[in-house]
Amino acid sequence: MDIQFVGEHLLPGKVGQFFVILSFCSALLATISYYFATVNSANISIPNSSEGWKRIGRIALILNVIAVIGIGSSLFYIIYNHLFEYHYAWAHSSKKLPVHFIISCFWEGQEGSFWLWMFWQAVLGTILLFKAKSWENPVMTTVMLSQTFIASMLIGVDILGTRVGSSPFLLLRQAMEAPIFSRPEYLSLIPDGNGLNPLLQNYWMVIHPPTLFLGFASMIVPFAFAIAGLWQKRYSEWIKPAMPWTLFAVMILGTGVIMGSFWAYEALNFGGFWAWDPVENASIIPWLTLIAAVHVMIAYKNTGHSYFTATFLVLISFVLVLYASFLTRSGILGETSVHAFTDLGMFWHLVIFVVSFLVLAIAFLVIRWKELPITTKDEETYSKEFWLFIGALVLALSSFQIIGTTSIPVFNAIFGTKKAPPVDLIEHYNKFQSIFAILIAFISAFSQFLKYKKTDIRKFYINTGIILAVSVLVTALVLYFTKVYTNPIFILLTYFSVFSILANGKILVEALKGKWKLAGSAVAHMGFALLLIGALVAAATNKVVSINNTGTGFGDEFSKSNDPKENIILYKDEPLKMDRYTVTYKGDSVEGVNTFYKVNYQVIDKGVVKENFNLYPNAQQNAKMRQIIASPDTKHYLFNDIYTHVSSVPLKDEAEHESHDGHSDDENYEKPSTHELSVGDTVRYRDGYILLKAINRDATVQNLTLNTGDIAISMDLDIVSEGNTYKAAPVYVIKSGNKYDFGKTVTEAGLKLRFTNVYPDKSKLELMVYQKPKAEKSWIVLKAIEFPFINLFWGGTIIMVIGFLMSIFRRSKELKSETGKSSISSLE
Amino acid sequence: MKKSSIIGIIIIAIAIGVIISTYADSSTYGTFSEAIETKSDLHVVGHLDKQKELVYNPQTDANYFAFFMKDSKGKECKVVFNGTKPQDFEKSEQIVLTGKMVGSEFHASKILMKCPSKYTKDQIEVKEATSSVITKS
Repeated sequence: MDIQFVGEHLLPGKVGQFFVILSFCSALLATISYYFATVNSANISIPNSSEGWKRIGRIALILNVIAVIGIGSSLFYIIYNHLFEYHYAWAHSSKKLPVHFIISCFWEGQEGSFWLWMFWQAVLGTILLFKAKSWENPVMTTVMLSQTFIASMLIGVDILGTRVGSSPFLLLRQAMEAPIFSRPEYLSLIPDGNGLNPLLQNYWMVIHPPTLFLGFASMIVPFAFAIAGLWQKRYSEWIKPAMPWTLFAVMILGTGVIMGSFWAYEALNFGGFWAWDPVENASIIPWLTLIAAVHVMIAYKNTGHSYFTATFLVLISFVLVLYASFLTRSGILGETSVHAFTDLGMFWHLVIFVVSFLVLAIAFLVIRWKELPITTKDEETYSKEFWLFIGALVLALSSFQIIGTTSIPVFNAIFGTKKAPPVDLIEHYNKFQSIFAILIAFISAFSQFLKYKKTDIRKFYINTGIILAVSVLVTALVLYFTKVYTNPIFILLTYFSVFSILANGKILVEALKGKWKLAGSAVAHMGFALLLIGALVAAATNKVVSINNTGTGFGDEFSKSNDPKENIILYKDEPLKMDRYTVTYKGDSVEGVNTFYKVNYQVIDKGVVKENFNLYPNAQQNAKMRQIIASPDTKHYLFNDIYTHVSSVPLKDEAEHESHDGHSDDENYEKPSTHELSVGDTVRYRDGYILLKAINRDATVQNLTLNTGDIAISMDLDIVSEGNTYKAAPVYVIKSGNKYDFGKTVTEAGLKLRFTNVYPDKSKLELMVYQKPKAEKSWIVLKAIEFPFINLFWGGTIIMVIGFLMSIFRRSKELKSETGKSSISSLE
Repeated sequence: MKKSSIIGIIIIAIAIGVIISTYADSSTYGTFSEAIETKSDLHVVGHLDKQKELVYNPQTDANYFAFFMKDSKGKECKVVFNGTKPQDFEKSEQIVLTGKMVGSEFHASKILMKCPSKYTKDQIEVKEATSSVITKS
């Protein structure tokens, strides 16, 4: 086409697209160079070849870093300057978007989140450049291979008729077809972008995705080390340098997952902190296998057992990261999740990515199978390595179960079946996962008293026995306070979690006395057990407090079933008793795109106000889409949370809409009532009464000139409603023989009053009273849930992360002191 | 027998158990006719009948929402949901219900809908321009 489009800024897109291509080519070059650097290092006939390749590999890596930053900067420039000729900016941002949320636009679209992944991988690659030492060549080969794959997702170039990847620099007119694109000045017709999904306009969404993607990206490093170990036949050496990286990945991914959970709790009206949504599952699946891997890696390092399990789990974890991104990005989840991305035509591209790395992992394991340092000896039953192994298996099984159910749509696609996920999904997952959790809590506790290789059995039983006994008492207390004694599984889970906290607490106390080695694991295990209790209590005993027990609304089909009615309607300023709270809706205020609904909570005990606080759940009213997006507000106590969100509110634009559309104003009112009054008479209406105080015989009406012979009379009315008095003076006019009346509206009382006739013979005046239907008073439909002890869940998470940090420091110190030693010994 | 083999067998047994139980727990995507036959919970996929009335009056009952849905076979049924009306329900393209038949009504415990949300679908919104473009050209 030869149309000269007006006002387009093509340069930033061209620069960006250049960097996209550069990032792909440099990643590919780095992969090839590092590959030859690795292969040729063993070849003595060409002595300098390896060094040369390595230099090219490093330069390519640096180019890649520059390219990745270039892509990010170009994209930021485009979004920041609202260049809506670009599809990405048009689809994910708008002019109204605050600057600090521009960064969130990066992860609303698939392209941006691939970029984020690529960015972290580039950062990790740079760190490896300095830290990997003798591992640099083989490890970087794998890391850059993964980088090449991700870069290929962004190139968006047609190869043999199929579009490969999806570029963030696609122009709007290239992305879609519409008649306006045949006009040169089409840009002036596109005033604004679609805007960022309001759910992402939350500060948690600024930090949650980068954390999660750092977690995903960092899982390539242990994978690359494991491959390098197999490739270079340095079978057992790789575990030690990979250890801090593995712990780092587990810590960051775990933090990212919980941040997502916290975001869901704080900002989404999911009604909880975990919903077993496929998108959530996708992030926890690789986390479980990698945490299992950490445990068997430790077992191997100390005893030489579980080599295959450790290697396999490390390898499969990264493959599962890829599988997870396939699940969430290919659109395959379709009918089972509302949160997944829609397909961008990359279905098979993603499949190739997953399969390539799966084949790579399996091929190396098969080729090297005979040489793997697998012990034929059995572990002792009373040894730490045995139970580390069993613990890892339980974690892997737990992950396996989540994969199985989450993958139902994948099985449907492969086998052509039409199975649907379980009807009660949460119940289905909880059934399995609570049992796995019990086992994990139990093993994580008693195995701490076991030693590697051989344990003093008597001492072990004494230690375990005492703590098991003490746990009974503590559990009884916990059960009493948390009220989770309703189900034997709950009791068991509480018991073993308490056991784990106490047992690891004992280890921690010993660690403080000098045996520092186990401190990190003790803290992490305690945090995890605390998290389990918190999750259990909050999930099992949370209760909806907004139960509809007003007695209204019953009598339809539903009154037959005894389903709890979980939403209540609150009219403005009409207090309602809800559980132990008296709740009043006080009104709303608008701030930007959000409408905040002020809800007052009071605890009144024998007439004394014990507690008084306001919550401001908000909703984004989206006039264009006629929808609201509700976000909760939560009152945090130390031991429980009151979580409140609006589930339905009157749409703002609707009311205005009608009156603008030329409908009669009277339609907003109920059928009027007509009254004949004399001075001093009162009229009762629903919310109070109206008093005719006096008659004003020479009333005036604005913009109406009265000639002689014309009459204008007004009524002086007092409206008394709920203790307030309002005044109104409707006017009755006879002008040139025609009757007119000028009604008055009293918005506060929801009334419209018309003075419609005069009956001189009866000396009565006619008043028509229009009242707004009760519904027109402001109302909100509210749902409130009490989450007891949820702070244990968040607190446990924080403690667990601290434990991971301690372990990372310990392992990297170990690594440093050892490399230090070996370099000294090589000097001698 | 070696301990590792025993453990291996146990793990495989549990894994198979998990698979079977997942299979047993899984439900099916059905139609209203199947829902009438089975009486048990299942998923029904369909779309909203926009000709018929949606009933949601929070003033009388904030937890009663009723509408008519046509399933994939074209059979129509009244659906009752014990909760609030999902906000942009009228715009839904496809609905997945979870629930069962009670009498002649389908009582849904969960509603999942796919909407042509402006955040996921490309629908260019040109400010009052499309029509003026046509008239001008």
